[in-house]
Amino acid sequence: MAEYRTHMKIIGDILVTTRDDLQDENGASVTYLIRKANISHSRISRILKTLVSQGLLEQIDSKGSNKYKISQSGREFLQAYYTFTNFADSFGLSI
Amino acid sequence: MEFLLENILNLIGFLVGLAIGIMSFIGFRNTGSPTLFRLTIAFFSISLGFFVIWVGYMTEDFVIKSGNIEKWIQTLGIAIQTIGYFFIAFSHSIKSFFPKSTYFRSIGIFPLFLISSVQLEHIFRSISFILLAYGAIETMLSYFDNRKKGTISVAVGLALLALGEFLGWYSFLFPESILYYVSIIIKIAGLIALFIPVSKVPLTKIKFDEGLE
Repeated sequence: MAEYRTHMKIIGDILVTTRDDLQDENGASVTYLIRKANISHSRISRILKTLVSQGLLEQIDSKGSNKYKISQSGREFLQAYYTFTNFADSFGLSI
Repeated sequence: MEFLLENILNLIGFLVGLAIGIMSFIGFRNTGSPTLFRLTIAFFSISLGFFVIWVGYMTEDFVIKSGNIEKWIQTLGIAIQTIGYFFIAFSHSIKSFFPKSTYFRSIGIFPLFLISSVQLEHIFRSISFILLAYGAIETMLSYFDNRKKGTISVAVGLALLALGEFLGWYSFLFPESILYYVSIIIKIAGLIALFIPVSKVPLTKIKFDEGLE
């Protein structure tokens, strides 16, 4: 059975992909992120827009298409995300 | 003896609630997670509830000196704690806590105006017990999924608080018995168990929001 993922968990998955699992040094394309994060195009577009506006992702124009890489703020966010995921786990909750 | 134990319990409750509340708040500020926001409200409420009762005992001890804490202060503190316990249970997705019918909602609060503060204290204690038992069971179920030591510690902590609350409520039937002291000691043990996993969160690695510094 598929595991339910919270919005926060999906954001975590996207950031982890853009940090550890890039297609090339330019970053990851939307199609690649859709496949890795396993969500719809419309949903990931909204999330990417938010993450770029919050400074957690860097948007790079590569050969006419957009690619995404994690920023320094994104790395710090991921660190906090892992810490507080453990914290919430202690209460039997998901963040 | 009762005053001393009550003072220790309420001081520990205030400090543990405050520590977990601050931790949850830092987590909320850094991640924006609604779960952490609910935990922030829960533990700040619990902390405030214990603080109100502690202030009541201290005022009684050093200012009023009548030998008994004002009942309404104790009831107020327990009511605030109950709000905190509700938010812990609510985080575990209580979906039908409040009646759906508008009529029942409107009359639900009415009996609270018809009963004395002593009866109110009984009601809040019994609601707290139910919420804590629910939270303990849900946390225990999560432990069976993730098998983390921190989760079992929180589950045991909530279960001990529930047991302490139940014994505290039951001790009204036997006013001069040892039950009340046992309930206080069990609650102190529960609060310590709650704090154990939180004390291990590596906050030094977190870069706080500028607003918090």
